[in-house]
Amino acid sequence: MVSGRKSTGEGIALVPAHFLVWTYAALLGIPIYFVFASAFKDNIAIFDTPLALPTSFSFNNFVEAWNTVKLGRGLINSLIVTTMSEIVTIALALPAAYGIARSKGKIGAIVERFFALGFLIPAFAAMVPTLLLSIKLNMYHTLPFFSLFLSATTLPLSVILLAQFMRTIPTELEESAMLDGATRWQTLRFIYLPLTRAGIVLVVILNFLTYWNEYLFSLVLLGYDTSTRTVQVALPVLITNSTQYGVLLAGTLISLIPVYIVYIFFHRKIEGALLAGSIKV
Amino acid sequence: MTKIKNEKTIFFVLPAIILYSSFMIGPLIAMFYISTLKWTYIIAPPSFLGLDNYRNMFESDAFWTALKNTILLVATLLPVMIPLAFMIGYYLSLKPRGHRILRILMFTPGLISMSATAMVFFAVLTPPGLLNGTLNNLGFSNENTAWLGSTRTALTSIWFINLWQGVGYTAVLMTARLESIPREIFEAARLDGASNWNRMWRISWPIILDYIGTVTMLQFLWTIFGGAGLIILLTGGGPGYATTTLGVLVYGKAFSENQLGYSQAAGVILFIFGLLGMILIRRFIRAKE
Repeated sequence: MVSGRKSTGEGIALVPAHFLVWTYAALLGIPIYFVFASAFKDNIAIFDTPLALPTSFSFNNFVEAWNTVKLGRGLINSLIVTTMSEIVTIALALPAAYGIARSKGKIGAIVERFFALGFLIPAFAAMVPTLLLSIKLNMYHTLPFFSLFLSATTLPLSVILLAQFMRTIPTELEESAMLDGATRWQTLRFIYLPLTRAGIVLVVILNFLTYWNEYLFSLVLLGYDTSTRTVQVALPVLITNSTQYGVLLAGTLISLIPVYIVYIFFHRKIEGALLAGSIKV
Repeated sequence: MTKIKNEKTIFFVLPAIILYSSFMIGPLIAMFYISTLKWTYIIAPPSFLGLDNYRNMFESDAFWTALKNTILLVATLLPVMIPLAFMIGYYLSLKPRGHRILRILMFTPGLISMSATAMVFFAVLTPPGLLNGTLNNLGFSNENTAWLGSTRTALTSIWFINLWQGVGYTAVLMTARLESIPREIFEAARLDGASNWNRMWRISWPIILDYIGTVTMLQFLWTIFGGAGLIILLTGGGPGYATTTLGVLVYGKAFSENQLGYSQAAGVILFIFGLLGMILIRRFIRAKE
C-alpha cells in the first residue's frame, strides 16, 4: 500500500519533467519535419505555411538539387573517401592494437600513451600546416591525401578501442597456435581478427560517421571543384542570392541517405559505438 | 612466451605511429613555427619575423572580439547544456512512456553532418524561413528579422543551434552511463524516502560526475573547434565580427585574408585556450568530488 501511494506521488512529481522533455523533443522534431515538408514545396509555400503538409509530392526539388550541384558525383567522392579511410585505418590500427595489447614490458604502455595524446590534439588547429603538407607531397586536392589525413585523426581512438578488445582474448589460444608453428601475423590474422570482430564493427561504424560527415577539412583539402568535392561541400553550394529553399532541403535529405541506411541497420550499435568513443577521451 | 619482444612490438605499431605523427604531431609543431613567419598566402615565399604576428594580433580588434565571443559562447553554453542533458538523461533512464522514440529523436542531431545542420538552420532562420513564417502565423505580422544577419541576434542564434545539436545527444550518452549503475542503489534510496529529484542530484550526479566531466570536455572541444565550421557555413563570422570565434579567425585569416602567420598565431592561442579550458573543467569536477 505504502509503495503504491509513493509511486502515485512520483507520477505527479514527474509531470513537469514529462512536459519539459517533450517540449525539447518537439524543438528537435519540428525542424526535421520542416525539412521533409519543405522539400516538396516552393519558397512561397514554405514561408506562408511552413508547417503545413505539402499539397503535392513532386520530386522536382530533388531532381533540381541533384543536377545543379552534381550531388551524384559528391556522393561518389564521399563514398570513395570513406571506404579508403576505413581500409587504411583498420589495416594500421589492427596490428598496432595487437602490438600494444600483447607487448611485454613498458613499450606497449608508452605507445598507448602516445596515441592517447592524440585526444588532446585538435586537428582543426593544424589545418594550414596540413594543407601545406598536401602541397609539398604533390597531393593537393586529391582524395587519397584526404583519406590518409582522416585515417590519421581517427587512429588514436581506433587503436585504443581495439587494444581493449584484444586484451580480453585469452593468451592460451595464441600459445597453442604458436606451439603449432604459427607466426605472429598468422595468429593476428586467424585468431585475433575473428575474435575482435565486434570491436572492428564498432570502430568502423564510429569512423563512418566521422568520415562521411567531415566538412571543413574536406573544403580545405579537396576544394569546390566538382571532380573532388564531397557531398558535404557540394550541398552548401545550393545557397545563392536567390536560394530555392525547397531545393536546398531536398539536397540536404539526399546527403543524409547513407547515414539513414547505416542507422536503420545498426542503430543499437551506433549508440554503443558513440558511447564507447566518448568514454575513452 | 606469449608476449611479443620489444623489437617486435615496434614492428607492429610503427606504420600507425608514422601516419599519426606525420598528420597530427607534425602539423601541430609546424603551426608554432609558421606563427613566427611573415607569410601572406600559400604560394608566397615566407621569411622569418619573430613575434610580430603576435604583436599585430594583440593589437587588432578582431582578435579581442574573437576571444570575447569564444569565452562568451562556451561560458554560457556549457552551464546550460550539461545540467539540461543530465536531467533529460536521468529522465530517459527511468524508461517513461515513449522513451524509445525520445531516444531516437534526441540522437538524431548527433548523426547529421555539420553541413546538413547548417542548411537546415539556414532555412529555419532566413527572413522568409520557418521561424518568421511561424511568428507571422501566430499574429506577429510582418516579422522579417534576419536572425543570422543582425548583430543583435546572430551570436544568440549560433548559441541556440549549438544547444539544439548538443543537448539530446549528450543526454543519450548520460542515459547509457546511468543505466550501468546498479539498480539496488536507487531502490535503497527510494525505500529511504528519497524523491526522484534527490535521487537525481544527490545520488546519480555524484556517481557519474567523472563521466560528466568527460562529456563536458568533449562538448567544450567541440564548441571551440568543430563549432567553427558551423559558423563559417552560416555567417562566415559576421556580420562584422559578431560571430567570429578564435576558430573562425584561424580559418578566415588563412583563407580569406591571406595572413598565414597571423592565422597560425591565433591557432597557437586557440590551442592554449583549449588546454587551459580542459584543465579548468577537470579542476572544477575534481573540486566537486
